[in-house]
Amino acid sequence: MSKEEILSKVKEAFVSVLEHDNFQLADETTADDVDGWESVTHMMIISEVEKSFGIKFKLMDLMNMNNVGDLIRTIESEL
Amino acid sequence: MKFVKKLQDSIESYSDCNALCINNTFYTYHDFAIEISKIRDAIANTVEDSEKLIGLVTNDDLQTYASILALWLEGKAYVPVNPSTPIERNHKVFELTETRYVIDSSKTSIYKDYKVIASGALDDTDINLKPKHVSGDQIAYILFTSGTTGLPKGVPITFDNVNALVNAVDVEPEFNLVPSDRCLQMFELTFDFSVVTYLFPFLSGSCVYTIPKGAIKYFYIFKLIKEQKLTVLTMVPSIINYLRPYFPEINAPDVRYCSFGGGALHSDIAKEWSECLPNCKIFNYYGPTEFTVYSGFYPYHKETHQKAHNGIVAIGTPQEDTLYLVVNKDNEEVPVNVTGELSLGGPQITPGYWKNEERNAQSFFVREENGRKIRYYKTGDLCFKDEEGDFLYVGRADFQVKIRGYRVELAEVEFHAKTKSDRKVNMVALDITNALGNAELGLAIESEEFDTEEIFDYMKTKMPDYMIPGHVKFIKEFPHSINGKINRKELRTYFDIN
Repeated sequence: MSKEEILSKVKEAFVSVLEHDNFQLADETTADDVDGWESVTHMMIISEVEKSFGIKFKLMDLMNMNNVGDLIRTIESEL
Repeated sequence: MKFVKKLQDSIESYSDCNALCINNTFYTYHDFAIEISKIRDAIANTVEDSEKLIGLVTNDDLQTYASILALWLEGKAYVPVNPSTPIERNHKVFELTETRYVIDSSKTSIYKDYKVIASGALDDTDINLKPKHVSGDQIAYILFTSGTTGLPKGVPITFDNVNALVNAVDVEPEFNLVPSDRCLQMFELTFDFSVVTYLFPFLSGSCVYTIPKGAIKYFYIFKLIKEQKLTVLTMVPSIINYLRPYFPEINAPDVRYCSFGGGALHSDIAKEWSECLPNCKIFNYYGPTEFTVYSGFYPYHKETHQKAHNGIVAIGTPQEDTLYLVVNKDNEEVPVNVTGELSLGGPQITPGYWKNEERNAQSFFVREENGRKIRYYKTGDLCFKDEEGDFLYVGRADFQVKIRGYRVELAEVEFHAKTKSDRKVNMVALDITNALGNAELGLAIESEEFDTEEIFDYMKTKMPDYMIPGHVKFIKEFPHSINGKINRKELRTYFDIN
């Protein structure tokens, strides 16, 4: 799966949890840049991403995930 | 004031030890002493003696913690406001307390209508941690909780109240912090649970680890446990609910103490969590804001101490100098094993809600015991005492609802619903008012949709039909209040039954 495809599926997960698409996702995007992305919605986004890619993250990876780039890299490593 | 003097002694004795770790930066007790001295100097030079209640913007930084101690050394109270709370509400808090001065470490303060002490930009001064004399009935802090009328409800806590809390925890042989302890502080300073997570470490020369604003709380806590090898955890049960899917990956042998409070701790998750902390004592603390954070605890242990009622871990016994009394509607004590409203008496009791005589008349009563007049606070929590003297939590008095005229304990419905479910998901029973104004039972399940037939078949074998929920809603994620408690009021809005 190409990085663009991954990013587009990740965006779908964000939109379904946050219920808006008023944001751009790039490698350096963090929770501060996206309206409604905080501790609780993050947990929902993670579980949505796990479902749509059919993967299960490790806590060690989740704890060092600081931006969208980290998320994409972790997904790539799980695929 | 004894505990303030003890804070001075601790800060002076442990000057080389770390006091705070904020966003990966460590500050020693010496750094802390410098900051406290600068702020207290600014307070002494700008605030009149008569002005006792001082606003504090609760940023996540050294200055904000130093401000609390500076105010106490000066014999004043902090009135905390969270910078992410709508400013109108914070103005309301300052209006109710007639606060005129605000300590704010923000680069630019939005509190233009007040006299702002910009704690981030103060001149150096000599270290001075000597406490001013303060009378014990003076206020040490005021916290505001949501009031039923929409106006926030103020709970003033005096220096005597805090001193009594410190005494009670000090005499507890099971819990002793040392300078090498590394302690989690995950709470907003506007939430009363934060008082114990900074105060006890500071009294012992231990280090306090905060959660940066904007961090993903759950993972950041785990990161601190793992990388900083935290030894003392204080949390609300909802934190471990979120970490539960990852328990098999958590092994934290350094954690010595884990204290829970601020909500019901369920025994199934407590047991699983204790597997992650092989060398840890778990305390299930109980206590409302009105009684200065903690009033007592139950020492949970997965093998030896698992007392629970409806799956909720016992709240144990009252701590030193605190009295527990279970009462009926007429404030009379009920016998052992009979459920009533838990009331608390002793030196940690608040003098009363801030300028709210009507509410005070409902929530406090005085009872004569052995010729002494004891003032009690009615917690709104339903409990009973067992033969061994342990207190068990049953539910909120206001969660006891009437369905078709029968009294229903929502916690009991939840317990039976969860027992049969092999899915480890959260379930909350709610009373929902129908178009006719009658209460009906709803069950909110925090999950994707699944077949609930088995759960309902089981519930029907355990409870009368009026206790079986007539409505089920699956909600992906429950709404929480800022303090991490499930927001039942908002949860109710998911049910459209008319």
